[in-house]
Amino acid sequence: MGQRRLLLALLLPAIIVTAFVGLTPMFALINYALQTPFETRNVFVGVLHFRDMFHDYRFRDAVLRSIAFAGAALGIELPLGLGLAYLLRRPSIINSIITALVALPTLFPPVTIGMMWLLMARRNGPVGMIMNWLLGGTYDPFGNTLHAWGTVILMDVWHWTGLTFLVCLAAVSGIDESYVISARTEGATRWQAFRYTEFPQIVPPLTFVALLRLIDALKIFDEVYILTGGGPGLDTEFITQYIRTVGLEQWIIGYASAMSLVFLFTVLILSWAMLMVLTSGRGLIE
Amino acid sequence: MALNFKDLTIKIIKIIFLAFVVAIFLLPVYFTFSVSISSKARINEGAIVPDFYIGHWIEITGGYWKTGLINSVIVSIACMGLALAVSLPAAYVFVRYRFMADKHLFFWFLTNRMAPPVVFSIPYLMIWRGLGLWDTQWGLILAYMVFEVPITIWILASFLAAIPREIDEAALIDGYGYRGLFFKFILPLIRPAIGVAMFFAWLFAWTEMFFASVLTSAVAKTIPAQLLTALGKVGWGVEYGPAAAAGFVTIVPGLTLLYWARRYIVKGFTFGRL
Repeated sequence: MGQRRLLLALLLPAIIVTAFVGLTPMFALINYALQTPFETRNVFVGVLHFRDMFHDYRFRDAVLRSIAFAGAALGIELPLGLGLAYLLRRPSIINSIITALVALPTLFPPVTIGMMWLLMARRNGPVGMIMNWLLGGTYDPFGNTLHAWGTVILMDVWHWTGLTFLVCLAAVSGIDESYVISARTEGATRWQAFRYTEFPQIVPPLTFVALLRLIDALKIFDEVYILTGGGPGLDTEFITQYIRTVGLEQWIIGYASAMSLVFLFTVLILSWAMLMVLTSGRGLIE
Repeated sequence: MALNFKDLTIKIIKIIFLAFVVAIFLLPVYFTFSVSISSKARINEGAIVPDFYIGHWIEITGGYWKTGLINSVIVSIACMGLALAVSLPAAYVFVRYRFMADKHLFFWFLTNRMAPPVVFSIPYLMIWRGLGLWDTQWGLILAYMVFEVPITIWILASFLAAIPREIDEAALIDGYGYRGLFFKFILPLIRPAIGVAMFFAWLFAWTEMFFASVLTSAVAKTIPAQLLTALGKVGWGVEYGPAAAAGFVTIVPGLTLLYWARRYIVKGFTFGRL
């Protein structure tokens, strides 16, 4: 009995803190989403806010943009990370210095990264100069949709390739080389050896990091808000920025809460899938 | 000979490619520093080469920049301490004991890390205002616990799981109480884990902007939120120079601790499982 009390005492602080900061807001969101303040009283509106989402073209567009952005970011960061991992997998001082440099932006505040790229993407910044030279002086990330998207994706690649790279490096270093060697002696090409012996071994970590990056890409806000502010027009307005605009600028708390709940549960489902991949379905603690 | 030539070509291409990678990852860091030590006229010309103007660095040692830096230091260090105090006992229990719904509880703890700040910021803003926590350092520290507790728990749990259970049993049989077991046996073994957990707990509070911008106004604004405010006013009395200097301050810890931290980044971002 004494041991039980001790265990509870050890767990309780964490439970209380997490319940206060994790559960309270969830119930508050449900409350705001179902009943909305109207003049001086709360009016129960049921699923009205959730129905509104289907008719809101700006919400739909923001969701589609977020998905497109996540797809583009993943499509570049995963192959790039894997390629770099293969280039740098032999341990040496130079390789570990380059590893550290590629990982560097993951330790920076996203808001600072947004500022760095804002400075660089101006007409006189290095990115602006290089892009203007390549595009014949027409580069304009603040007026041209395509250029804005390119810059935002490039920024995200710069920010997060370090993470996919480090996960791939850990996965690639764990590969049993004897499979590759025997495949090669059997006459397999280098590509076949990779495709049929190495790749199956790194699928779980790759799936995991893909899901992690997917969640983080859906959550992106700081960098894009600083760099483009959602512009030109609404062309880089992602789901986070739309929720923020509705909730914290237009103060339509009910509708913002409904959108938040949908977004939150999407992220929770993805997180669950990610943890299942990570632990191959065994659960986190044995 | 032909084979050697091919190998050499591949090697040269590889070196050029890696040099390119290094340049890409260093350029933004260099350029930000360069802007921070360039005068306004030079920044407008591009500031690829700085003219060593130190006015911006002097400016950020005063006014709202200074307040922001002090708040950032206080909030991030307090978060680190509080998160560690709350998480260390919980992580130990999760690793060592089985109890009702333990996996579900652990999962619920971890998923809070993935929750988007924008989702929680609306209820926090309402509740914090009601409790008088809005625009206070305590309010911000408390809000950050939603990420901090999961991060520290999973890092500590992943290290604790590697310590053999027999150590606990032997210590308890030898007559050490739980207190003795923890301070004499467990703590020395997980000292590196505590370092890693503290680093990431500190890092997440140091780099976070969304809560900081919503839950504070003037008194408790941290430096990332201050950057957001300042960049929104560029052209109206705020310039890029001081923002670049303050931004550079925010990346200095990352730059200096990078070589040590690179081995733990994967742990810090991946639930300590890879």
